[in-house]
Amino acid sequence: MTTPEASFTTERHVKYYLRCLKTFLPSAYTSNDSNRMLLAYLTLSGLDVLGVLETKTTPEERSSYINWLYHCQVPTGGFRGFPGTDFGSDRRNKDNEAWDPANVPATFFALVNLLVLGDDLSRVKRKECLEWLPSVQRNDGSFGELVGPDGSLGGARDLRYCCCAAGIRFVLRGRGDGLEDVPDIDVAGLVSFIEACQTYDGGMAESPFCESHSGHTYCAIGALDFLRRSSQDLQTLPLLSAGSRQFEALTTWLASRQTAEIEEPEEDDEEEQPRSLKDPLTDQINELPDIAPLDADTITCAGFNGRCNKYADTCYSFWNGATLVMLNQYGVVDEVRNRRYLLEKTQHLVGGFGKGPGDPPDLLHSYFGMVSLAFQGEAGLNAVDPAMGTTERTVRHLKSLPWQ
Amino acid sequence: MTDFTTAEWADITPIELDDGSNSEAMPLATIAYPPEYLEATAYLRAVMAANEMSDRALSLTQEVISMNPAHYTVWIYRAKILFALDKDLSEELSWLNDVSLKYLKNYQIWCVHHTRQSRRAESNINISSRHHRQVLLSSKSHFPTFPPKEADFLMEMFAQDSKNYHVWTYRHWLVRHFKLWDQPRELEDVEALLKADVRNNSAWNHRYMLRFGPRDTSPDAGMVNAGDMTTAPTDKGRLPLVDEDVIDGELKFAQEAILRAPENRSPWWYARGVLRAAGRGVGEWEGFATGFVSEGAVKSSHAVEWLADVYAESGGATDAVRMLTMLKEKYDPIRKNYWDYRIRKLDQVA
Repeated sequence: MTTPEASFTTERHVKYYLRCLKTFLPSAYTSNDSNRMLLAYLTLSGLDVLGVLETKTTPEERSSYINWLYHCQVPTGGFRGFPGTDFGSDRRNKDNEAWDPANVPATFFALVNLLVLGDDLSRVKRKECLEWLPSVQRNDGSFGELVGPDGSLGGARDLRYCCCAAGIRFVLRGRGDGLEDVPDIDVAGLVSFIEACQTYDGGMAESPFCESHSGHTYCAIGALDFLRRSSQDLQTLPLLSAGSRQFEALTTWLASRQTAEIEEPEEDDEEEQPRSLKDPLTDQINELPDIAPLDADTITCAGFNGRCNKYADTCYSFWNGATLVMLNQYGVVDEVRNRRYLLEKTQHLVGGFGKGPGDPPDLLHSYFGMVSLAFQGEAGLNAVDPAMGTTERTVRHLKSLPWQ
Repeated sequence: MTDFTTAEWADITPIELDDGSNSEAMPLATIAYPPEYLEATAYLRAVMAANEMSDRALSLTQEVISMNPAHYTVWIYRAKILFALDKDLSEELSWLNDVSLKYLKNYQIWCVHHTRQSRRAESNINISSRHHRQVLLSSKSHFPTFPPKEADFLMEMFAQDSKNYHVWTYRHWLVRHFKLWDQPRELEDVEALLKADVRNNSAWNHRYMLRFGPRDTSPDAGMVNAGDMTTAPTDKGRLPLVDEDVIDGELKFAQEAILRAPENRSPWWYARGVLRAAGRGVGEWEGFATGFVSEGAVKSSHAVEWLADVYAESGGATDAVRMLTMLKEKYDPIRKNYWDYRIRKLDQVA
């Protein structure tokens, strides 16, 4: 029996994204209310990757979306993640402004959203935003997500914030013309923090000595990629240089994330006998069964996991894949099996992608599943810049702005 | 749900959500909010605008958190009220325990309808609630020493999901904050979790941190000795001072785990990290790895990879290529392109 090769169901994906754009997201998204700027990014950029943003929305709609994005700009610079913290600029004062702060990831996604929609960022409080950025950086080089009460720094020490902060700097600082009096972030400190997040197995963790994780690995390399684009002397960072121990260990770790284990087995049939080293080691090894060679033809699909010994998940095809693109190492990926995993296992009948086989589609997995395919040149999808996480068309628009 | 029509709330004028309709804006990512969420957040905006530190505001934050636990200011606001009103933080922790464990159970019940539950057991503790715990426990006046109940809570969480990233990251923070490096409980818990699942990479990572993490208050580093700009690249990952007994003990521990499950990558990688920390090479395990590999019969693909590295380091490119080819053709065909990359690198050297 042969099944026809699964294909990317473009029309259904377009419908899925248009539904997300033009109708209410289900109530279950309430727990993601504070991430609306991110959800907006996944929707707008999704339509852009599909190449239909400008045909399926009118200029009036796009201009109204832009107005909403600016509506989320905080008076003191930067953007909030959702309008829900806004109690009105007339009520805002020194005592309560901490409850309606600019948020680092939200600011990055707001800027990307504006660029996707073709805005020239002229209403962005550029200088104020760049002045705010160093205030969310810690002495150890890492970033938090916001300035809390009494000037405290809120948010965990987390590579996600580092990546978004580097992205904001990349978008708004550019060549730095006219910003001589605006203090820059501590770039060397940020690089040092990121390097410290590499673990003994080669991957990168949220913070030093935590467990390596593909999402954080993407953020680490994404941040360095943003920094190196505007600084010649960062081209030779070990993590970005083929041949260095750090680079090769990272490549090995990323390649190891691809896996044919896409679902938990019904039951674990493997018996593990705890052993001690009392018997001679060689005897014990000899008693172990041989492993069977794998027949390549029987493995049709292989997605990616985000950590060692975990199951595959749609979004990790992106986090690992995008990192490999930035390292110029995508060649180590088994593209055919990744494509089959996405198209045959997690692509949903109604459009979009789920997290795993049989899961309903959601915005995050839909976007990252699709972009993983875009990295592999899937027909009908626009090319995507891995660090910006949005189309190369959008990045070209950014590059046309006066300070870039 | 709070009844906002009572006298307690009579003096508050709720601030409705302004989604930009007055600024010619068309909102993005609109959500079909439940009415009770819209009402609770309208009152939340009002008490926040007044910077109100009160019991009613405190209970309101609880209600908003129950519907939107990712709200990034409600947790900070809650923490500020707790300290301002000098609340009993132990009570706060028990509440947090309840919600962390309860969310998980509810989530699982909900997920059974969609898919097998175990693969979905995540995110009941999110980055905000984890950070909230850290903020509370950072208070030296309330918690001068480690509250032992925290370790029990962590194990309860691990019983639900032994690889929960937020719980492990929090545990890591606890170790550093309360200097629990040599608390027997830390290693005991790690070993219990590895006994239950020797493939639990999070537990392996925690063990590595306990054994080799820097213990001073200086910025910590991922690989041993990596976080300092003055460290020479070749010294990164290496301990400045090595206790060879600890190293030997950890290598033995990894070998025992490998014998339990030879295809489990975690202990193989752990051993690489241990050897690196000690400045001892992978060659030390050549004999051990060779036991798993003979022509035509292999007991662990990771042993084959180990030998490839040993041979490559010692200039035995031909033998290394033979190992890499075995992986590519027989034992790990998904990574064919990666093994080819490794083979090409050896060819370049040759």
